[in-house]
Amino acid sequence: MPPPEDSAKPRLATGCRWRSEKESKASSKPERVILYPEGALRLRDTGLLILEHCDGNRTFGEIIAELEAKFGDADPEKIRTDIGQFLEQLRQRRIVDY
Amino acid sequence: MMIPNPLALIAEITHRCPLHCVYCSNPLELAGASSELSTTEWADIFEQAGKLGMLHAHFTGGEPLARPDLTELVAAARDAGLYTNLITSGIGLAETRLRALVDAGLDHIQVSFQDSREDAANWIAGAKAHAHKIELSRLIGQQKLAFTVNLVVHRQNIDHIEEMMAFIEQLEPERMEIAHTQYYGWALQNRAALLPTRAQLEKAAEAVAAAEKRLAGRIRIDSVVPDYYARFPKACMGGWGRRLMLINPAGKALPCHAAEVIPGLEFENIRRQTLEFIWKESSSFRRFRGEEWMPEPCRSCDQRSEDFGGCRCQALLLAGNAAATDPACSLAPAHQIVEAALAEANSSTAVSQPVAGASFVQLQQRAASLWSYRTTPE
Repeated sequence: MPPPEDSAKPRLATGCRWRSEKESKASSKPERVILYPEGALRLRDTGLLILEHCDGNRTFGEIIAELEAKFGDADPEKIRTDIGQFLEQLRQRRIVDY
Repeated sequence: MMIPNPLALIAEITHRCPLHCVYCSNPLELAGASSELSTTEWADIFEQAGKLGMLHAHFTGGEPLARPDLTELVAAARDAGLYTNLITSGIGLAETRLRALVDAGLDHIQVSFQDSREDAANWIAGAKAHAHKIELSRLIGQQKLAFTVNLVVHRQNIDHIEEMMAFIEQLEPERMEIAHTQYYGWALQNRAALLPTRAQLEKAAEAVAAAEKRLAGRIRIDSVVPDYYARFPKACMGGWGRRLMLINPAGKALPCHAAEVIPGLEFENIRRQTLEFIWKESSSFRRFRGEEWMPEPCRSCDQRSEDFGGCRCQALLLAGNAAATDPACSLAPAHQIVEAALAEANSSTAVSQPVAGASFVQLQQRAASLWSYRTTPE
């Protein structure tokens, strides 16, 4: 199963959702939680940033472009591969759909 | 010792059930309706669970739908910040009630199937439930919630696991759980009829591996090797008092589904103690938490932080000692008990598998001598 096409719109899969902010404990490190059947993903830093962009409205191409701008001097090809693989793995686990 | 926060609450809200599955893991002594916790008592439990940092509430039973207030209970759990999961046979779930549950915040529904063949499925469940479950699956597909199909496999149905997985595939769930029967409660009583042979198991493992590959990205398959055939025991409940707490219909707080079988342990009741106290302070949750209690060979074993010595209830049920290494472990002093059960299951005189294409009546006649059906409490 391949990583997303540029035109795909990644989003959380049915039945997976962000834990609401008021439920998440206030902590020094900004952390958010995705709840899914039988588990939870605690996200911070890059993983958090990527999934916050996967709102079902942005295309994969747009997400890559926005994140490349944020990461500045990192290799764009590597950014694309890493994010693609990350989303592909989450799709295998039925947490992300595209 | 640092006590981690619990992750999930298993809300066993009733023991009443319209099904009579021969592999039910409920205790042989079931709690009656008159002893069940009230709606407000459950709402209070969910609030406490949320405050303690729990993330999930698993509604189970018996059949959770037997509680007329299930929608209110789901809403209360969701209000408390919990991800809500309903584990159900689907009996008693019509479209309006399903929609009400989803509106109340139900996140995930898990429907168990006994077989792909209707007669066999109804035979195992001791009730005509199969056709209704198929209809329900179609309704679930129209709702916005995660859908898992749980397929319970054992000696009587594992030979056509490919057919069963293909059947589940067309129900279009996000997840498929291949659940090998665990031998507690009613299943232990019926073990001779349920424990598969090694050959059955190996063939099934190949079929599952092929299906995993074929369905990748579409249906996630979760499947676990049954512990009787594994080298090491299962990490029961993710470790005693480490991740999960079960509240039974009458309010008893248990570290494991079958924990009540363990003599000498006193279980607190949520009617008299707070959830936080029970989790952190109660003697029952502390009894097998961590590694202090472990005997050899667990105590010095590299696996101890993976499997936590296996299941305490199984140790009691099979070896007669809850503090023994789980006999399912190949290193356990009492492993010969499991080996004996396996030898029997693999011998030529073992309980045979059903004849393909047998009718419901033929199957029922055979059932009388084969196993006992789970009863339901008043």
